[in-house]
Order: sequence, then structure tokens, then C-alpha cells
Amino acid sequence: MCNDILINIFEDGLFAAIAAIGFSSISNTPRRAYLTCGLIAAAGHAIRYVLTSPEFGEIHIIPASVLASFAVGVLAVLFAGRIKCPAEVCFFPALLPMIPGMYAYRTIEALLSCLYHTQEDVFGHYFYLLAYNCMTCSFIILGLVVGATVPVFLFKKLSFTATR
Amino acid sequence: MTSRICNKAVDESALRGTAAFLAEYASLLSGCGATCIRIEKNARRLADSFGVEFDISIMPTHVYVSVWLDNPAEAVVAFRKTPACGISFNLNAKLSCLSWEVSDNNLGLTAATERFERIRRTKQSGKWETLFLTGLANASFCRLFGGDVIAMLIVFISTLAGYRLKQIMLEDKRDIRLTFLCASFFSAALSAGGHIFNIGSTPEIALGTSVLYLIPGVPYINSVSDLIYRHYLCGFSRFLDAAVLTVCLSTGLCAGMLLLGLKWF
Repeated sequence: MCNDILINIFEDGLFAAIAAIGFSSISNTPRRAYLTCGLIAAAGHAIRYVLTSPEFGEIHIIPASVLASFAVGVLAVLFAGRIKCPAEVCFFPALLPMIPGMYAYRTIEALLSCLYHTQEDVFGHYFYLLAYNCMTCSFIILGLVVGATVPVFLFKKLSFTATR
Repeated sequence: MTSRICNKAVDESALRGTAAFLAEYASLLSGCGATCIRIEKNARRLADSFGVEFDISIMPTHVYVSVWLDNPAEAVVAFRKTPACGISFNLNAKLSCLSWEVSDNNLGLTAATERFERIRRTKQSGKWETLFLTGLANASFCRLFGGDVIAMLIVFISTLAGYRLKQIMLEDKRDIRLTFLCASFFSAALSAGGHIFNIGSTPEIALGTSVLYLIPGVPYINSVSDLIYRHYLCGFSRFLDAAVLTVCLSTGLCAGMLLLGLKWF
């Protein structure tokens, strides 16, 4: 049981790291930052996985995302100086694997279903799905971005001397 | 009297050069996706190092820089259009390093300009490397959302195809919105194969994930950073830019699904 959880956490972190490295390459991230981006992404995603899993309190995905992204922001500020890159270079790829893609997809799915169905009760059902998925998705993204950006402003001096 | 006029002319010419350099620097930093707070801090660091007083106004598509020596009424103003060089953290990091290099080593304007021009010529990451890594990243994304191995493979292939199309269209200088629409349509149409031919157990996850590599994450994150720093105009501008691209990619996804007649509604 304990082993299964550990394997899941490791697997979650590993795929988050691959995703972070891949997406950081789209934004022309310096190669020296790849490993740090991957490790921070793995840590962030694993924290969220642990916080949302039933074995560890089962926190709602929105506060869990905020806490994980705050941890990502702090780690990015701490490690940015080592690779001589601005903190956002480290935390941006780390946030991407936490973007709630499936909620966004279901929002669009529900929107199209709303447009397609005119019957009141069916429309109401899809409208509920639209509102639920859209709100969850928006608040997760907002929480992610605010959570990761706040440490940059909290540790301003450290953040803006990273490239020195 | 003549010497004073001559000195004043030299001062003004030097100020013009400094203002032009700072405006070029700030506009390139803005173009490569730096936040407003970073642009301000870096440019001010350079101005302090050059021994001039400085003010900056960052607009969504332009940067205004004003420099003066003692009297703000005699300030020299330079403004530059933000270049459309695409998001580049490599440029961002190099330009930030340059500001510290100039400040710590007391480099003059000529040396700073020389280094700046060298940085400006920095090549982007290899396109094949980026293509392969993006494919892997999106396939990993699919796994994180609960997709099986077949879904991961479908996402990998559709991402390679869609991202390559994006690269080709951007190289041809096509409109970025059209590029996003076409790339998402292409990826969605390819990944819909899982649904149509009943391949794998999670075809809907493959379809939903296949376009996520197009989400403009950097502008979204930068817009929040700008809002926190009270650069509302830039913040909203970046947010709207990103929102328009998101709408384009969603439209491409929906068009792909509708065209292939997927029965999900």
C-alpha cells in the first residue's frame, strides 16, 4: 500500500518533469535550466498529488494547487541564482503540468452541448457542467499563477539578483 | 561661451545615445516575454550605471524611455516598438545578466551596446529538438491526466504534426491566430482517430490533451505578475492576447471534432 503510493508519487513527478522540460523548450529556455525546471515541476506536482490524494487529507484541488504553486515559486526563487536565470524561467514550466487541461476541455465540451440542446432540463444539466468546469478551471489557473508569483515579490531582492 | 555650448551639445548627443540604447534594451526585453517589473529594474540598473536619471513607460506595443542629467525639463525621450521576436527565456536571462555585467564592471555605453548586439543575434533553440521535446511533454501531460499508453502515443504523434505545422506557418510569417487555429485543428483531427477507430481505453483524454501544447502560458503568468505590480494596461493587454489565442485553439479543436462528426453531444 505504502509502496504503491510512493510509486504513484514518483511516476507523477517523473511525467511532470518530462512535461516541464518539453514545454520549457518551446519558450527557448537555456539548456542549463532544464534539469532545475524538471525537478521543481516534479516537486510541485508531487506536492499537489499528495495533498489531493485520499490517503493524505484529500484537500480540494484549488487550495492544493495554490499550496503546490507557492512551493514551486519558493523553489524557483531559491534555485534561480544557481542557474543564473530569472525565477520565472524556472517556475513557468513547472506550473504547466498543473494546468487543469481536462477541466478546460470539459468546459468547451459542455459549452457546445449547451448550444446543441434546447430542451430546458438537458440544457440546464450541460449549463451546470459548463459553470462547474469553467469555474474550477479558472480558479485553479488563477491560484497557480498567484501562488507562484507571490514568492517573487516576497523575496524581491533574491529574485532580481539571480542573474548577477 | 562657445565651450559651454559645445559641452552641452556633447552631453545631449551622449544622452540621446543612452536613451536610444535603453529603449532598444527595454523593448527587446519586453518582446522576449519579460515582466514589467523586470524590464523596469534592469533598465534602471543600466541607467544608474551610466550615471543618468531615468524614467520608463511600458506600453503593450511600445516602450518610452526618458533620460536626463540634472534638469528633468531637458530630458531626452526615445521610444521603440516592441519587436515580435517570440517568447525567449534565453534572451531574457542573457539581457538580465548584461544589466548586472554593466553595473558591476562599470562598462561604458559602447561596450554595453556591443554586448547587446551580440545577445540580439542569439539563435533560438533547435527546431527539431523543440519539436521532439514538445511531443514528449504533451504525451506526459496525457499520462498525468490519466491517459493510457495508446493515448500517449496518439498525443505524441498529433503534437509532432501540429507543432511542425505551427513552426512552418510561423516561418512563413503567417498570422499567429490563424497559425494557432490551424495547428489545433490538425492536432485535434489526428488525435480524434482514437475515438473514430476505438483505439485504446481513453480516447477522450488523448483528444483533450492533444492541443494543450498551444496554451500560451507565459503571457497568462506575466499578465498576473503585471497586475500585481499595478501595470494594469500591460497586464490586460497580455491577458487579452493570450485569451484570443486560447479562443483560436479552442475553435480549432471544436472544428476538428465537428468535422469528424464525433458524437459527444
